[in-house]
Amino acid sequence: MSQCHKETDCWGSNRVGKVPIGRLNRMAKRGVDNSSLEQPILVPETESGAQARLLGGSRGRSPLRLLLWAHLRQSWRRLRSLTEQSPLLIGLIALFVGGYFWIAFWLFYHAFGFLSSFPGLGPLLSERLLFILFAFLFVLLLFSNLIISYTNLFRNRETTFLLSLPVPAETIVSWKFLESILLASWAFLFLISPFLVAYGLVQSVPWHFYPMTLLFLGMFIVLPGVVGTWLAILVARYMDRRSFQIAALTFGAIILGGFAWWLRAEAGAGDDQETRVLVILDRLLAKTAFAQFPWLPSYWLASGVLFWSEGAIRTALFFSSVLLSYALLFGWVVSTQMGTWFYSAISEVHSRGHVLGRWQWFHNRQKARSSASDQVTGPVERIIGWIPKLGRDVRALVVKDIRLFWRDTSQWGQSLVLFGLLGVYIINLRQFSQQLTQPFWVHLVAYLNLAACSLNLATLTTRFVYPQFSLEGKRLWIVGLAPLGLERVVRAKFWLALIASLLITLSLVTLSCVMLKMPFARVLYFAGAVTVMCFTLTGMAVGLGVLYPNFKEDNPSKIVSGFGGTFCLVLSFVYILSSVVLLAMGSPWETGGSAAGLVAASWGIFVTISLAFGWVPLAIGLRRVRSIEMEG
Amino acid sequence: MVEIVDLTKQFGDVTAVDHLNLKIPRGELFTILGPNAAGKTTTIKVLTGLIKATSGLAFLAGYDVQRAPMEARKRLAYVPDYPFLYDKLTPAEFLRFIGELFRLRVDQVNAQGRDLIERFQLGPYLHQPIEGLSHGTRQRVAIVSALLHDPEVFVIDEPMVGLDPHHGRVVKDILQERSREGMTVFLSTHQLNVAEEVADRIGIMHQGRLAALGTPMELRRHSGSDGPLEQAFLALTEDESMPQGDGLLGK
Repeated sequence: MSQCHKETDCWGSNRVGKVPIGRLNRMAKRGVDNSSLEQPILVPETESGAQARLLGGSRGRSPLRLLLWAHLRQSWRRLRSLTEQSPLLIGLIALFVGGYFWIAFWLFYHAFGFLSSFPGLGPLLSERLLFILFAFLFVLLLFSNLIISYTNLFRNRETTFLLSLPVPAETIVSWKFLESILLASWAFLFLISPFLVAYGLVQSVPWHFYPMTLLFLGMFIVLPGVVGTWLAILVARYMDRRSFQIAALTFGAIILGGFAWWLRAEAGAGDDQETRVLVILDRLLAKTAFAQFPWLPSYWLASGVLFWSEGAIRTALFFSSVLLSYALLFGWVVSTQMGTWFYSAISEVHSRGHVLGRWQWFHNRQKARSSASDQVTGPVERIIGWIPKLGRDVRALVVKDIRLFWRDTSQWGQSLVLFGLLGVYIINLRQFSQQLTQPFWVHLVAYLNLAACSLNLATLTTRFVYPQFSLEGKRLWIVGLAPLGLERVVRAKFWLALIASLLITLSLVTLSCVMLKMPFARVLYFAGAVTVMCFTLTGMAVGLGVLYPNFKEDNPSKIVSGFGGTFCLVLSFVYILSSVVLLAMGSPWETGGSAAGLVAASWGIFVTISLAFGWVPLAIGLRRVRSIEMEG
Repeated sequence: MVEIVDLTKQFGDVTAVDHLNLKIPRGELFTILGPNAAGKTTTIKVLTGLIKATSGLAFLAGYDVQRAPMEARKRLAYVPDYPFLYDKLTPAEFLRFIGELFRLRVDQVNAQGRDLIERFQLGPYLHQPIEGLSHGTRQRVAIVSALLHDPEVFVIDEPMVGLDPHHGRVVKDILQERSREGMTVFLSTHQLNVAEEVADRIGIMHQGRLAALGTPMELRRHSGSDGPLEQAFLALTEDESMPQGDGLLGK
């Protein structure tokens, strides 16, 4: 111990390879033979040679490399335990991935083929499509990186743990930056890969287009990652939860308002088909010209990919150099210059009073509230209190779940991104209603809209409903041992989730059907279908959440990314796909009109598979909960 | 070895630590006591550099934790009440990870770890994933990892949580041995018997201030009680200004 003074660094050259004197003294006192020091106790005897070599080779690893090593090892173990847990699930996931890739590729391939059949216009439209895709990708990645970076940097136990170790703040930021980029980007890259493959095949590009595109994308994802990390640190430094919620809502409303104005429907261009097409194309190109703003990183990416596909290698290399230089510059800034900012921000996050605390009126309000007899009866409690015949215990549970959701910024932020996208989708539907005149297209878009709404529902139930039971975590005993009983807890969670899902999805379906100018009977038909789907998907998420709980994890994103969450997502997609196809096959509005028997049969099968996918997991989950109670 | 100079920490308009002054010499086993929300954990967080002080200074082994955080952290070991461990690593891997972070060589990790692993009886668990270990075993792994680099200052929050009597004894023995060898221990606990048994000096915090400081004997004398430390603690932390619970939870 005495060897470790500030003049002689604890692991300075004077101590490398030596056993500290403090330890030798202790061992001598306890009569331990010093020769045993040569035997490595942390390395298993059977593999000591290999382990020693591995460790010897890794001597002097930087903290960043060490963190990478620890996390790679953890990921490998997770993957291994997943494969050992259920080969069936792995098969199902592989099937889903393959199926998605194939269907998406098929759709994009035919879409690009269709576009290229227009002489002159085809390449122009394909090109614009690429610019728009990457521009949206940039915005989505930016939001995704902001939310994930915030959670990773400021709501993460590992970060706090690392802060007490000799790990520079810059290294912590670098590590979390890399982690956030990977977490935020992998799904997007997976989703757009069939698009790029289809584009490449239609354009008959050389083989090196594909690895180069991957390289372009690798450089590109760094930039939204940088902005996301920087924004996350700024948000943490200057905003508390409430001010962030207000800012996010305001910003979301402005963005949606902006989109509504930008995509507003305009007067038609006469009856002549040719003139109409040209005017529409002209408008389309004008409205989407923002994607070609040369200072957008997505512009550099799209240009690089396009020029490479056209064989203009030198120009493509120019754009790749632009991407590379910005990625390197800003990557360097994040990994070397943001440590101090981060440290100030995390200290502020852990030290923060109320953001309004600087104003006297706020203190007066707080005092008035604390002196009032009903101070803990907030607006949520009052609204839930209006529901008749709701037991006090269930009401307490529902209020708790709503409050926890509302107070978790990361949950909240992700919902906002999801609803923002939906808003843009619905605003876009107005354009369809003006252009669709043929019954086939009206029919097709109506069912695609049902698929879109139900896919959104599946995202909501998997992301927010599935982890609800696991999130009780170490606090499960609080509700489990209460007279309420775990079974009623699960039932209450089911009904709360169902009501929320129904409110959101029915509004969404109604709004989208109205935007598509569908007759009332059709709106009712789709509302009925989506109501059945709500019951099924909520039941499935709640049931599987109980069957595959993860009480160790506090982060809902990580709970969802486990075995049960993935299973839930895959099952939801399979259910939606089969349901929509089934309903479309027995559609009462199909050209020529389906026979009443066919409509009834399709609905009969639809309801049956809905029960199988929704009621069965919920029933098994409730049965499991009863056994958890007995064990408790 | 640990020095806190006029330290104040505010959370908004709430003062958690109020002009705290404390000096703990090298090799002392210092225990901090206090009721809930007395400011103990906040003091530890400032001391370990997890949060910045509103005003005042904190030194570890002579280094200002704000101005020279890396130098301070190299000499520090910190075990919180619920320590973080990588669940999918084994204790052996975790110890190697910590050893490398502190720039210890593999043979040093092995040499340093052997004694601690034996005393904490961690041998059978060394190559099992941490996620499968009991709370007590995880706590033992955390303590071993903290002591691996022979720290000059050891800050530990509620060390006995989850430990059985045998391993609780081991922790107390190790803390006393190490402090005799020169390590400064800053221990926070609610277990008065532990404080009474191991501490060279005890500080009692109350409402962000140091209400009393001295050896267990001095504290008892100071409070005018000859009984156990509990009586002295209760006498020193009695507070009539605390708000009553009536009406706090509404109707």
